[in-house]
Amino acid sequence: MRVALFTTCLAEALAPRALKATVLVLEHCGVAVEMPTAQTCCGQPMLSNGLPADAARLARRMSEIFAPYDAVVTPSGSCCSVVREKYAGLFAEGSRDRAAVEALAAKTFELVEFLETKLGIDPATLRAKTCSRASTATPPATTTTAPLNCHDACHLRGIHRHGCTAPFLKAAGCGDVRDLPDMAQCCGFGGMFSTQFPEVSTALGEEKLAHVASTGASTLVASDTGCAAHLAGLAHRKNVALRVISPAEALAESLGLMEIPA
Amino acid sequence: MNELIAPALPFDMKPRAREAVRDLKLQQFVGNATHLKDTQRGGIFGRDFGPDYDDLRTVARDTKQYALDHLDELLERFIANAEQSGAKVHAATTGREACDIALDIARAHAAKSCVKSKSMVTEEIGLLPAFEAAGIKTLETDLGEFILQIDGDAPSHIVTPMIHKDRVATAKSFVRELGARYTEDPTELTMIAREHMRGLYRAADIGVSGANFLLADEGSAVICTNEGNFDLSVGGPPVHIVFVGIEKLIRGARDLAPFLKLLARSGTAQPLTVYTSFVRGPRRAGEHGGPKEVHFVLVDAGRVGVLASEKRDLLRCIRCGACLNACPVYRKVGGHAYGSMYAGPIGAVLTPELERAQGTASPGQPAAGLTNYPDLPRASSLCGACYEACPVKIDIPKFLLHDRVRLRAQGLSPKSEARVLALWRWLAERPALFRLAIGAVRLHARMLGRKDGDGERAWLSRAPGPGAGWTQSRDLGIATGESFRDWFASREPRPKKPGGSQ
Ligand code: SF4
Repeated sequence: MRVALFTTCLAEALAPRALKATVLVLEHCGVAVEMPTAQTCCGQPMLSNGLPADAARLARRMSEIFAPYDAVVTPSGSCCSVVREKYAGLFAEGSRDRAAVEALAAKTFELVEFLETKLGIDPATLRAKTCSRASTATPPATTTTAPLNCHDACHLRGIHRHGCTAPFLKAAGCGDVRDLPDMAQCCGFGGMFSTQFPEVSTALGEEKLAHVASTGASTLVASDTGCAAHLAGLAHRKNVALRVISPAEALAESLGLMEIPA
Repeated sequence: MNELIAPALPFDMKPRAREAVRDLKLQQFVGNATHLKDTQRGGIFGRDFGPDYDDLRTVARDTKQYALDHLDELLERFIANAEQSGAKVHAATTGREACDIALDIARAHAAKSCVKSKSMVTEEIGLLPAFEAAGIKTLETDLGEFILQIDGDAPSHIVTPMIHKDRVATAKSFVRELGARYTEDPTELTMIAREHMRGLYRAADIGVSGANFLLADEGSAVICTNEGNFDLSVGGPPVHIVFVGIEKLIRGARDLAPFLKLLARSGTAQPLTVYTSFVRGPRRAGEHGGPKEVHFVLVDAGRVGVLASEKRDLLRCIRCGACLNACPVYRKVGGHAYGSMYAGPIGAVLTPELERAQGTASPGQPAAGLTNYPDLPRASSLCGACYEACPVKIDIPKFLLHDRVRLRAQGLSPKSEARVLALWRWLAERPALFRLAIGAVRLHARMLGRKDGDGERAWLSRAPGPGAGWTQSRDLGIATGESFRDWFASREPRPKKPGGSQ
């Protein structure tokens, strides 16, 4: 199986550590990952903002770039859902483009989903797996016990994965995973919504941070780069000490594939 | 009409949204009530239907869609059956026409007073102001609507109209408007309203209501309420007028069950509303109660136009309010921020669409639609909670995206935004340049950002250009260390494979 990493432009700019973690976790599970270097942006910003023709051009690119692979994996729940749910609607039924993006949709997965549904990995056994080229860092004697919360990207709803991250991390032994009250409510990011309605977006983000604080968690795992940037940015502005990471990083750290920064 | 739900057009949502976010009472009342209802909705469906819930929604969706697809036929059948039972059926193309029909009926009976139970369509067509202008004193008999009426306020939720108010406000207005003694006890407050209304029911010349469903087979209307006020308004006055949008038609009682199972559970987490009432024609010979005349006013007001558009799914809506309760934005901005009696996710798509369809329906008027509500399609994070909550599976986010395309095509969304996105797309088709652009962003952050925390990121608290809206309330953290691509390339070399090159 040839597996390609779908990096997403946002993660390349804002969260390269999430991408590294994705590669390390996949390798830990015995999956060698390739990275098509021509990939750029999936077109979500255009698609969400009334420019479907622009989005279609990028969707077509994506389908070409990832054509040689059997599976495409990304740490971003939101970009994944765009490929899965939205690409087909950009092209006429029966067209070649439509078939190409449908083929891409059928093999694109969010990381945790890929591990759980495609590889069929029982998270409890993750620790036992070892992989050839992963562990450059020495596995820690004990993994993190920092209390953490999980906030799933709303777009995971569309691919029926909303609410699946926390149980997976819990079962994988990612430390003290605490239930986040009202997890189902959007964090207020919403792409350009965050700058079009900044007050509403901020109010929702603050509510999310308040819920995190109520659990005593010091780390928040957010399954989308945009949500993570929004919540981390809010916390930073308000001088709230909160580490915001991706599920990939949470897994990589707990498996000893990555060091937890001091 | 109240400018809260019928504002000056084009409507600017942003100031109202900003104000609402700062309104601590609104945050508390609307936030608590919507969260509670949303949680209870999940609970009751889980308990009562478990995994079958989704099938039930599919049945409801398909049943309603079938009705919409056969609306002509069902309308004919409804009219024939309703007339058979002695009711009079009127068709109104516009809201104005619907009001005129009612005014004619009122005039024929020299009506001076009216008792009205809750109805969205009468809000939509402005019946109450039309009645008041004609000197017909109209009493809202739904408790929430009554409180709003005496306060000169407007509904902010399609099921719980006074969701933005609390008991204290009610107590104060009862003292002020009804001369009642101050009490915050809900039972006592209800009794005060009841006392005030009872006599008025008996004295009223006309009763007015909406309807939740129209049954074509039976020629009757189904009205779901919790307070019994509908039954009083239909039982007291000699004339009753049911106003109803034509999209409320279903085949008949045989199709009603899934909707009754879904409606109250979705809206208020009740297995059924307290009353499920049927209106079928006037009092028959030998019957002691009921109106002597029953009128059905079938309202188009843009619905035919919606039916012919790609947004026809919106007409499936049974006005349960679940999407409002589930919506993070509604929870923060409340109903009045939407500038329409239809608030929240469904309102954001339905309001401009009805407006557009009506514009097309009346010759000489421009098809305004989104021109009048340019903010509504954008006031959403596209989180999908509305779609998940909707008992008839209306894909509201899809229609919001539709409208965003239209906004763009009509030049109603900011040009600056379009330029940024066009540049982004142009770069995205040129991978080398795109990487350079990402590199430039990272360099910008490295040079100007503050390094703190884990030292992995540099933080900008003032981003240029399109980032400015972001940094109004948030810092922007950008990883400045080794790029992912450099890291990936620096690992042990591997044979190049096709598809991996540019
Ligand atoms: S759109 Fe769906 S959830 Fe919203 S009010 Fe209508 S039926 Fe209920």
